Amino acid sequence: MKSRWSLAIMVIFALALVVSAGCAKKKTTSTPPDPQVEIKDDTKWTPPPPPVEPKVDEAALAAEAEVRAKSEAVEELTSVTIHFGFDSYELSEESRAILALKANIMRKYDDVRVVIEGHCDERGTEEYNLALGERRARAAYEHLVILGVNPERMSIVSFGEERPINPAHTEIAWEENRRSEFVVQ
Amino acid sequence: MKRNIIISVFSLLALCVASVAMAAGPLTVDIHGPGQRMVNITLLPPKGLDDSQVPSAPAKAFEELVANNLSYIPFLKIVPISTLLGGDPSTGVKGVDIDYKPMRLARIDLAMTTGWNGSYIEARVFETFSGRRVVGKSYNDVGAMTLAQAADRFCSAFLEELTGKKGFFDSPIAFVRQENKTKEIFTVLPQGRELRRITKLGGFNLSPAWSTDGTKIAFTHIGRTRHELGIYDSTTKKITMMTKGLGQTVISPVFGPSDRLIVALNRNGSTNIHELDGSFKPKKMLARSPYIDVSPSFDRTGSKMAFTSGRAGNPHIYMMDMKSGKVRRVTTTGKYNTHPCLSPNGRYLAYTHRTSNGHRIYLHDLTTGREKQITFGPGNDEYPAFGPDGYFVAFSSSRSGEYKLYLSTRHGDTPRKISTGKGQAFAPAWDTALQR
Repeated sequence: MKSRWSLAIMVIFALALVVSAGCAKKKTTSTPPDPQVEIKDDTKWTPPPPPVEPKVDEAALAAEAEVRAKSEAVEELTSVTIHFGFDSYELSEESRAILALKANIMRKYDDVRVVIEGHCDERGTEEYNLALGERRARAAYEHLVILGVNPERMSIVSFGEERPINPAHTEIAWEENRRSEFVVQ
Repeated sequence: MKRNIIISVFSLLALCVASVAMAAGPLTVDIHGPGQRMVNITLLPPKGLDDSQVPSAPAKAFEELVANNLSYIPFLKIVPISTLLGGDPSTGVKGVDIDYKPMRLARIDLAMTTGWNGSYIEARVFETFSGRRVVGKSYNDVGAMTLAQAADRFCSAFLEELTGKKGFFDSPIAFVRQENKTKEIFTVLPQGRELRRITKLGGFNLSPAWSTDGTKIAFTHIGRTRHELGIYDSTTKKITMMTKGLGQTVISPVFGPSDRLIVALNRNGSTNIHELDGSFKPKKMLARSPYIDVSPSFDRTGSKMAFTSGRAGNPHIYMMDMKSGKVRRVTTTGKYNTHPCLSPNGRYLAYTHRTSNGHRIYLHDLTTGREKQITFGPGNDEYPAFGPDGYFVAFSSSRSGEYKLYLSTRHGDTPRKISTGKGQAFAPAWDTALQR
């Protein structure tokens, strides 16, 4: 009986300690009491209209997006050409980076077939340039094969000096004309 | 006895005359010599044969054709009759009808006579020094169409007598002509007549080359996605296109020994020269290397092949002996020597040498190893091609601002433009069939 009383007293004390500790904490706080904000809203809530049934089905949309993405990829594949030094078919660092991007596109869209064209500037002679253009196209082709593109999907054609993109007779024009182009079939 | 004396006196006289004639010697031009002398020729006014009248219009046309033809011969100079003292020194077309003295005074070496009887022509050339007839020909049924042919034949025969080589005026040149964005193959005679279309295929039709008998022309056709080997047959007027087994690349096809096709193909990663068999399939590789080999050129016997190779790091000219397969380098100077052409007799090699001022044609004498520049621009001089005589060299030059065909000689004589019509002209290839 005595021990029950002492337990009750201990509980009371402990409670008192907690309350007093809480009071002490409240005393030290410096934050003002929360302002009371009255929210008044006269507008009536109207439920949003039920979602409109799409006129085209999701699959067609996705297909369209896919087509757009593919045409953009194809555009990227064909619009960027790689360039070479005079009488050279060596791939520069820049060319390798461009080819890596092309390889990604080719791997992603595995139904795309490309013709890689080799071109030269006008300074060489025709027959040697035809062989040089072939080497340039082949350099790009072989690099793409290394990067995992199926060789069956690519073919090579050399135009030598027959199709300059810049007909001028300047250093800049020659640089522009020494190139490999990618034509999607 | 008396008769014997007369005979011996006469034979002695004959011997004297002969030795005088021998001393003078017939006039010939050594086109293989180190240089050449200028030969003056005058065209005497046409005469009526057997009291007939000279038909003035065709006679004038014939004279103009001959004069135009002869103007292509760098060592011939046509001297107008007006420079002769006393005017026309001839009364007929035969040697006895000509007074050579005023011509000798005017330093004229040769005199040509033309006789007319309706549509029948006789044409002769005499040496003014000895009165020797250099050449004499007659042509029947000469009409407006065949007049030019008669003039060509006569000039060819005349040139053959002078130089010992035939075929100049009747050996066509195949070439590539630009037509808008395409290039097509044509043929023309070196004096600028008989322009004929060979292809109308679109794309790029390049590098024409004749078969040894002059009946076929091989060429490269570049379509949108590949090269093809084209062969034109003049007997059937048909073009056959070949692709099977040749790969994507067909460069510089030529007819080699026994008229087999020799062509640069890329079958295993590098462009090499291959010999094709009778059904146009690759048979064997010539002068194998992992580098670019293109532009084969053969002499008439097919025993030697000149070609361009990148095996030394830059394109240079090499020779291969077809029997032994041995390859030796010919050009050692410059960094870009391409497009060799062997003369029909295999002695001379013409090629395109790149200089800081553009390409120029160089000539290499394979027997002495001596080299010289034979064209001097401006612009680019490319694609040398020997004529059937091994004396004339046709080439393409951009000296006028656009590429046109020109004619010079092994000695580097002043180039003459060959008229090829509208559009740029490239890659002349001369039919050497008449040099057999």
